Order: sequence, then structure tokens, then C-alpha cells
Amino acid sequence: MGKKEHEPVSEEEKESGKLKVTRRDFLKGLGASTVAAAVITTGGAHSEAEAAAPPKGTRDALITTEINGRSYRVAVKTHWTLLDVLRRELGLTGTKNSCNRGSCGACTVIMDGMAVYACALLAVEADKRKITTIEGLSDGEKLHPIQSVFIQEDALQCGFCTPGMIISTKALLDKNPRPSEAEVKEALSGTICRCAAYPKIVKAVMSVSQKA
Amino acid sequence: MSSQFKIIGTRQPKIDAFERVTARAKYASDFYLPRMLYCKVLRSPYPHARIVSIDTSKASALPGVALVLTHKEMPEYVWHIGMPLLTDVARFVGDDIAVVAAKDEETATEALDLIKVEYQKLPFVLDPEEALKPNAPKLYPDGNLIGGKPAVVSRGDVEKGFTEADLVYEATYRTNMLQHATREPRVCVAVWEAGKLTLWDSTQYSFDVQRGVAKALNMPMSKVRVVCDFMGGGFGDRSGPERYNVLAALVARKTGRPARIEFDREENFTAGHHRYPVILSLKYGVKKDGTLTALQAKAIADMGAYAHFQGAGGTMEVIMSTYRCPNMKGESYSVTTNKPEGGFMRCVGHPQGTFPQEIHMDIIAEKLGMDPVELRLKNYARLEDGDQFRKIPFSSNGMEECIKRGAETFKWNERWKKPVSSAGPVKSGIGMAIHACRHGAIAPGWPSSGMVRVNSDGTINVFTGTSDIGGGQKGTMAMIAAEELGVPLKNVFVTATDTDVTTDTFGTTGSRQTITGGTGTRLAAADAKNQLLDIAAAELKTDKKNLVISEGTVYARGSEKGVPLDQIAAKAPGPIMGRGVGIAPTNMIFHSFAAHFAEVEVDTRTGAVKVLKLVAVHDLGRAINAMATENQIEGGAIQGMGFALAEEQITDRATGICINPSYLDYKVLTIKDFPEITPVIVESVDPFGPFGARGVGEPPYSVPAPAITNAIYNAIGVRFSEIPLTKGVVLASLKKAKS
Repeated sequence: MGKKEHEPVSEEEKESGKLKVTRRDFLKGLGASTVAAAVITTGGAHSEAEAAAPPKGTRDALITTEINGRSYRVAVKTHWTLLDVLRRELGLTGTKNSCNRGSCGACTVIMDGMAVYACALLAVEADKRKITTIEGLSDGEKLHPIQSVFIQEDALQCGFCTPGMIISTKALLDKNPRPSEAEVKEALSGTICRCAAYPKIVKAVMSVSQKA
Repeated sequence: MSSQFKIIGTRQPKIDAFERVTARAKYASDFYLPRMLYCKVLRSPYPHARIVSIDTSKASALPGVALVLTHKEMPEYVWHIGMPLLTDVARFVGDDIAVVAAKDEETATEALDLIKVEYQKLPFVLDPEEALKPNAPKLYPDGNLIGGKPAVVSRGDVEKGFTEADLVYEATYRTNMLQHATREPRVCVAVWEAGKLTLWDSTQYSFDVQRGVAKALNMPMSKVRVVCDFMGGGFGDRSGPERYNVLAALVARKTGRPARIEFDREENFTAGHHRYPVILSLKYGVKKDGTLTALQAKAIADMGAYAHFQGAGGTMEVIMSTYRCPNMKGESYSVTTNKPEGGFMRCVGHPQGTFPQEIHMDIIAEKLGMDPVELRLKNYARLEDGDQFRKIPFSSNGMEECIKRGAETFKWNERWKKPVSSAGPVKSGIGMAIHACRHGAIAPGWPSSGMVRVNSDGTINVFTGTSDIGGGQKGTMAMIAAEELGVPLKNVFVTATDTDVTTDTFGTTGSRQTITGGTGTRLAAADAKNQLLDIAAAELKTDKKNLVISEGTVYARGSEKGVPLDQIAAKAPGPIMGRGVGIAPTNMIFHSFAAHFAEVEVDTRTGAVKVLKLVAVHDLGRAINAMATENQIEGGAIQGMGFALAEEQITDRATGICINPSYLDYKVLTIKDFPEITPVIVESVDPFGPFGARGVGEPPYSVPAPAITNAIYNAIGVRFSEIPLTKGVVLASLKKAKS
């Protein structure tokens, strides 16, 4: 994807540091795939000229982000989500895609101390921010205590929600090292575990927080 | 715990937990390959429509699009019941019309919009009872009843049974369409290289994907490799080959580039499988003393547009074998409708039978003035009952212990009270239910195999076809091999689900891997052990019978001085490879047994139901890994609570469109929604399964719904024949009961 295909970022946008993207641009960039149920013939709405051009609203941007203590400069499209960039562009596939609609917590990362859904943020919103993903928790083969306790207590089954669960736990314990069980459940309620290893997850988090 | 074992029955963390907690585990959805094409499927907006014309020229011309395929370019191949690879007749909203492969997702999505389809809308039917009527719109020329007639099972004489009964009770129950809602979406990445196809797939049964894709593309199986090292949940949604596997493979073959298909969340709801709804009518006859004299059942299963099998029969199994009764008759109607594919979901067909049957039994107990526990104890199918049609006994049967230990743990006798006996607006109640199912089974002809290699340093590699979908299946195989061989668990590594290097053990479906994969692995370990002992016997100049292996060292019985396995392995003429193939016996059938006891609180002002306590007792033969077993029971029970209280996939009657295809609108339980759960393990020791074990993946799902529904009755005096029991449903029923 050469830069020439798309509209460049304006100088003001580059200088302001915060890259702006309108909701309209974002939706355009996604491409409208909805099909009106009332009409018999669907599709074919685009003219030849439009088809040859890059999708409307896609613009290039350059962001600088600190991820897991390392600085990254990434060329992105303004409609890409942080999740797209982490997984597809940077190969940090520990942050999982499950719903892509901010409803399940599989893609939870910590941004400037807050647990956030990476699928519900545009990559440009991560510009000049500090991000921690699951890959940033362990140090080589040395595990973070939360990871160790998840292993010991068998606080997982398929493991697909586990990165989100562990990151949510870290965001909680960083702020509140000795949470009550109710606080743990509240903090983790935005991450769905379909295997429902919930009893063991609560046990694991309570046990590691008591040690903290 | 069983002291005769060193490893079996212990509490072990997952063997691959490090990979999972660090997210170094590579799931199929994590494969992003150079030059990879992103594929998107054009899906039907109509529940039933014929494609008059389809024009892909604009989509194909869009820069970045590599390939567009429609039914015209597809090999002729029919899946399941009636499903083409891409269709020219859409049979549900979401049916696969075309596939686009492009350089990125945005381009693929844009290209979908450029495909011009002219549809001729056809009349559609969404309700299975409507679909059975003579004038209903037909999905297939032969009509909507799969097989053309109901499947009938019968033993004894039900009419005679009803005349012998003191009480005959009849009622009809309904269950809903449910979603697996696995955390990992349906995803497959296909690579075609050097004449060989590799699929990185999220699948519960790689060997069936291999078989299906090879058949559809007319390829030798030897040139199709399917790998699933890690998988983000299955629950039945990925039990075998699916059309997206073939679509990805075809794109890779035609373009020479890696091809990725990943469903978005909405597609997972609308174009995946689901738990098929069942309408179950029960008529049971019973004597005053509680003895069942006749069971009659009629099941109508709504299998959607492309049934994977005749689902009503799955529900009927519960009626056939939970209780002993000489007279039984069942009629099963599996019906096609213009809804998504009815497929497999955790404990296939059984929750749809256990929920009704256990409410039915609760009502009968009340009518007879009997304790519900006593009624179950009187009638549960005994060891010798097994298959009551062919008179084949169960392999082992811990049902009585399940019921008794559950009642004891829950303190049923002390806590039992008459319905609606708590004062105030928040009322508490207790209820129970039992469940017997053929899951965790093996039957003649089912693949059961394994391979074990002993390395020159005495460590062990296990090769198993098992997909570890979260149940800890890899660890189970490691524990079985370590126990059999007498080596430390840390010296065992498991390679799972790579069709190039492992062998078929059937799917990680039907709770069966402990018994199919486990038996194969145990036999393979025994074979390897036998080869090691042959060498050791010559070395130590003693009879093989005198030798034991412990902690990776071979000892002659009574002697303290041993020879480590690496020294034995070094003397072998080549690598020691153990092979195991399990052959299921024909003189027994395999079932799992369970009893659940629940306490609930119902707020009669809001209709809110809160489950306070659940005791979940399961006979699984023997637990291989006690911790993983608990985790399965807890997780399955919580998912089953969702079935009872929250989950329902809703189809709009006017359009056939699913109106809640997201985690926001389809409610699965969160970490705030589970009660105190006490898992209890009963070990009836299976005579065939590895070290006496059977599986337990599915049974915990089926039992909470009826136990909770019965407890709600005990609290508020209102019976329910449909779930989920959301606040609105409970409140409306309370109002109706009052007036």
C-alpha cells in the first residue's frame, strides 16, 4: 500500500500532534457493507471511476507510540483501529480480536494507566501515548506474578480471553493492590470468558492481590 | 484421590499454560502471512431467494482484488444436508453467495458492495411446526421433514404402560436457538505451497477438515495438512469441515497466495452453527409409588437451512436412557427452516431433552407427593439397563452416588421446603435435576489412536490428533503417557492436531478425547514401554516381568539400583515408537452421569433470579486431572446457567434476520453472574477408559437449567416450560399467575 494512493496528512495535523479523524471519515474508510433488505437488486452502486480510486476517506498518518517500553513510529491509515495496528502491522497478536465492537474485552490493553479496548480506539488516538500489551508483562521467560498465578490456579481454559483478563487484572492491581472480591469482579466484568473459568479467575486474582 | 497412581488424579496446571498466559500461543487467527489475501463472503440478505443473475465484473476490476468466486466457479459438492459451497438459492439470511479475495480487508469489503446480485424472493418459513404443514414453503423438493418421515424408537408397549399408570402427565416444552459465541471467531488461513495445501484452522476435528477439504477439491488427503495447535473455544461450532475451509483453500490454490477468512462477530452469529431449538412433548405414566410405567415423547427440532444431522434424535437419546422404563416410544421430527445451520453445540441435543424431562419429573413428584430426589432414585437407569432397546449394559454407572452425594453436600433433606414458603418479596427456593448422556463415549468404528516416541535422553514425545480447545486435552494425554511409562510429567511434550504428524482420534467433540485420544495414547505408551523393557531385560539379564519404570528409571523389582531410560533408549536399534489403536467393546455402552442441586432467590418485584448455590456432581469414571476437571464442571455449569437465564438468539419473524448478533445483545454470563459452585467428582471407574476415565466436557452444561427452573418453582410457585427466564419473563408469569 503505497502512500501515493491516499490523501496525505496535512502539515497542521502533523504539527498538532493529535491527529484528528472525523466519524464520517472513519465510516467511509470501513466501507459500507450493509445491504438494504427492501431492494431486490443489491450492490453495483459504485461508478467505474470510484472503483479505480482508493476508498474514500482513507488517509495516511504517522504515529509515535510507546508500546511495552519501546518506541514505535508507525505508518497507519486514519481509520485503522489500535487493534488493527497492534495485531496486523506490529505482529503483537497477543491482543486478541473477538468482537471488534468494544463489547467483549479480548483486546484490552493498558493506555496511560487505563484498561481500554484496542478495537474501540483509532490508532491515531494512541499517538504519543504509552501502551502495555500482554507481550509487555513477562520479561523473557520470567513471568509477571499475575501470569504465574493464572497458571497455578488454572484460571483459564482456551486462553483466548486470557490476555485481556490478565491485562484487566494488571490495570486493576496497579491502582488498587488489595481489591475486594466485588471490586475484582467489577474490574473484570468487561472481559467475557466463554469457557467461564470465572471461579478460578477470581480465586487467582484474589490470591495474587493478597500477596501484593 | 486414587493412591495407586503417581500422576493420574493429581492437580496439574495446563501443560501449555505458559504459552497461553504470555500469549505466545499461536491461534489460527494470529497468522498474518506475507502476500496474504483477505477473504470476505457476500451473504444473502433474504431468508429464501433464487439468484437470477450475479455480476462480479466491477468487483473483479477493483484494484487490489485478486479473485471473486460465485456458485458458477465452484466444484459441485454438497455438505451436510443440502449445502452447496456457494449457493444459487439462498436459504437463510447469511447464506454464502460469493467470496472476494483482496489485498486487505477494506478492499475486500468494498468489493462485496460492487457485486450486483438480482434476487427472486421466494416464500420462506421460520417456524418448524409451520414448516411441517403441507402448504408450507419448501426448502428442498422432498419437503421440509428430513428423511421424509419421523424417526421412531420404541420398546415395550406404551399404551399398556399408560393403562398400568396411576397418573399420566402430559406437557410441551420449548428451548431456543443458542450461540456458541466462542471467543475466537471462525477463522482459517490457507497456504498452497509446492503442491500441498496447509490450513491453519480453528477446528475441533482437523482430520475431518482434511477429509472434507480433500474430497471437495478432489485432492489426495496426503496433500492436505490441517493444523490447530491452539484454539479459542469450540463448543461444537467447529466440529468438522466447513465451507469457509474450502473457500480459503480454493482462493489459495487459484492465486498461489495465502488466503485468510475470518468471520466477524455478526457472521459468527448468523453464518455459524447454533444450538437448534426443540419443541418436546412428553407424556409419562407413573404408579403411585413413583415407578415409571410409560414414556412417550415427540421431538420437533428446528434444524435451519442446512442440518448437520437429524437433531431431534439427539434430544430423544435423553428420554431413551436417563430412566429405566420397559415401555417407551419416541417420534423425532428434524425439520428444515429458513434459518441458519442447525449444528452441534455442547451436549448436542441433550439440554433440549434434559430441561423438559427434569421439569416433567419434578411436576410428577409433586403430584405424587414424593420427594424429587426419591423419584429420581427410584427410576434412574441402572448399570444393567444401559441401552434398554438392545439390552446392553452401561460400562459403569455412578448415578446413584451422584444423586446421594449431591443431596448430602447440598443438605437437601434439611433444606427441602414446600413451594412459596419464604415470606417477603424476595423468595428463595431449591431444586434439583439429573442427567445421563452418551457423551464421553466411544463406540465401535470411532477412531482412537496415539503415538509415543522415546527420545535418546529418555524424554517422551506424544503425538495426538486431539485439538486442545480449552479442556486441557494436551495435558490429559501427557499425564496418561507419563503414568503409563513411569516418567516425570515434565519430560513429556505433546504435539497435537497436525494431520501431517499425528493420528486421528476423532474430534474434540462429544466429550470424547479422554476416552478416544486417551486410550490411543495409553496403548501407545504401553507399546513404547514394552519395547523399552525388552531392551532393559536383556541389559539387566532378567525377565521383563520383573521390571518396573519409575521416575524415568528402570528397576528390577526389589532392587534399589536402576538404569535410567536414556541408557536403555541408547541401546535401541532405532527410535522407539509406540503405537496405540483403541478398539471399542460391543458389550457395553458409555454414558456420563450427573446430578445438580440449586438454590435460587427470586425478587418478585423485579422478576430477577439470582442463583445462590449450585452443587454439581459428575460421574466421569475417573478424573485424570482433578483441577482441569473442576474447571470443566464449573465452566460448563456457568454456561448452562446462561442457557437457563439469559441466552437466546432472536430471529425477526417478518424478515428472517437475526436481531441480536453481538455480545451486547446476546447475553452471555460475565464474571459477576456466577454463584457459589461446588463441583463434586464421582469415580465409578470405567472398565475400558484410560485408567478408568471418561470425559466431562459437555454434561455440566445440561443440568443447571432444569435444576434452577425447579428451584424457581419452589421459590415462587410458577412453572416454566420455556427458557431463558429473564426478568421480564418471570415478572409476566408472576402477574399471570396472580390474575
